[in-house]
Amino acid sequence: MNDVQAVLAIARKDLLQELRSRAATVATLFFTATTLLMMAFALGREQAVLASATPGVLWVALVFAGVTAAAQSFQSDLEDGAFDQLMTYPVSRAAVYLGKLLANWLYLAVLGLVLAPVALTLYGAALPGLGSYGLIALAVALGSFGFAIVATFYAALTANLQAREALLPVLMFPIVVPIVLAAVRATEGALSGALSPVGDWLLLLAGFDLVYFVVCGGLFHFVVDE
Amino acid sequence: MTETASANPQPGRRASGGGPALSLRGVRRRMGRETVLAGIDLEVAAGRLVVLRGSNGSGKTTLLRLLATRLRPHAGTASVFGHDLVSEAEAVRGRVGLLSVTGGSYPVLTGRENLGLTTSLTGKGSDDDAEAALTRVGLAAEADKQVRYYSSGMKKRLGLARQLLRDPDLWLLDEPYSALDEDGKRLVDECLSEARARGRTVLLASHEQDRDALTPDAIVELAGGRLRLVAPAGTAPR
Repeated sequence: MNDVQAVLAIARKDLLQELRSRAATVATLFFTATTLLMMAFALGREQAVLASATPGVLWVALVFAGVTAAAQSFQSDLEDGAFDQLMTYPVSRAAVYLGKLLANWLYLAVLGLVLAPVALTLYGAALPGLGSYGLIALAVALGSFGFAIVATFYAALTANLQAREALLPVLMFPIVVPIVLAAVRATEGALSGALSPVGDWLLLLAGFDLVYFVVCGGLFHFVVDE
Repeated sequence: MTETASANPQPGRRASGGGPALSLRGVRRRMGRETVLAGIDLEVAAGRLVVLRGSNGSGKTTLLRLLATRLRPHAGTASVFGHDLVSEAEAVRGRVGLLSVTGGSYPVLTGRENLGLTTSLTGKGSDDDAEAALTRVGLAAEADKQVRYYSSGMKKRLGLARQLLRDPDLWLLDEPYSALDEDGKRLVDECLSEARARGRTVLLASHEQDRDALTPDAIVELAGGRLRLVAPAGTAPR
């Protein structure tokens, strides 16, 4: 059994669970739709204000939806002792982390890629060119990856705690602030059509992703081995 | 003074590596502030079946989870087939299989998908083997039903199917008879007898006192965080 197969098997299992239960999907879709609509009403009718707020609102909706999805990914594991069983299989802890991270990332990235055009349309933000779509997709991919890295780690850390719903955002939000800021700025740059700052923010985002990936991946076994 | 429980009546029947199947020396483990295991010494030779008794909360599950590498010992040394439980945990996991009280299956996946995951993650068995295991435990007709619709007994049977599929060198079973009907209990006995015949080592935590089909090599009791040999090796419980 190699680790790549284990990663794919765990990710497939997590996605299949979500596809069946729709536990996170229902909550996140409802939450993101409410956020987009409420913010649109709160910001008023001025087109320029709405357009400039689009990147921030998009990422606020994604971040809060991401917390719900990450917490849910471990909750379904904890039922009937399935996570205990998973941890007794002869696979490395890193493979377990990567499998869960892959599932969370794919879920968030798809959600972001669906949400982005909806937000752009709803807020009337005009794209300067087709290339901007690609840059926004890249920002969503890198930003959601960084977010999933931290969310998966902290969801595992808080999975067995009674106050996990309250603790998960409290613990992880300070850590993901640099990622979310960079993602917002990269999305903002893509919307403005200025390539230079977008590239810088995307590079910074990739840098954060790399650092968090190494740290969280290396520390994961400490949070799951009791 | 630490008591020692040894279930090693036939030194000739040992693991391939030459050492015992499992060896614990002065193992201590706290859960929160409570010391659950307060210096466990246990040695079991390969191919032996040992029954672990103890009242509720005595630490049987903690001991089994520790041997399955889910918990780390806070003191002492522990090894399974010569592999240290902490530093060689992955190698240990390749040789042990734990059947937990709840069965350990994913509720939203079907019985077949749960066993498919086991096959993928252990590299052991095929789809045919999974089908055979499901048939053996009487779940072939329910294999494509999500586990959340299973009864407690069916979940336990699925856990047993997982053990059959993995067929680990060391079977760790936590209350395998609970929630099962009489047919299910007999099935567990048969599977354990067959596992022993294949040379597997079994550590079984159970409150069942009268399993006639079960003739353990030793019975040990966990009380006050320590193990005590109740029935000497080679003695059947009565």
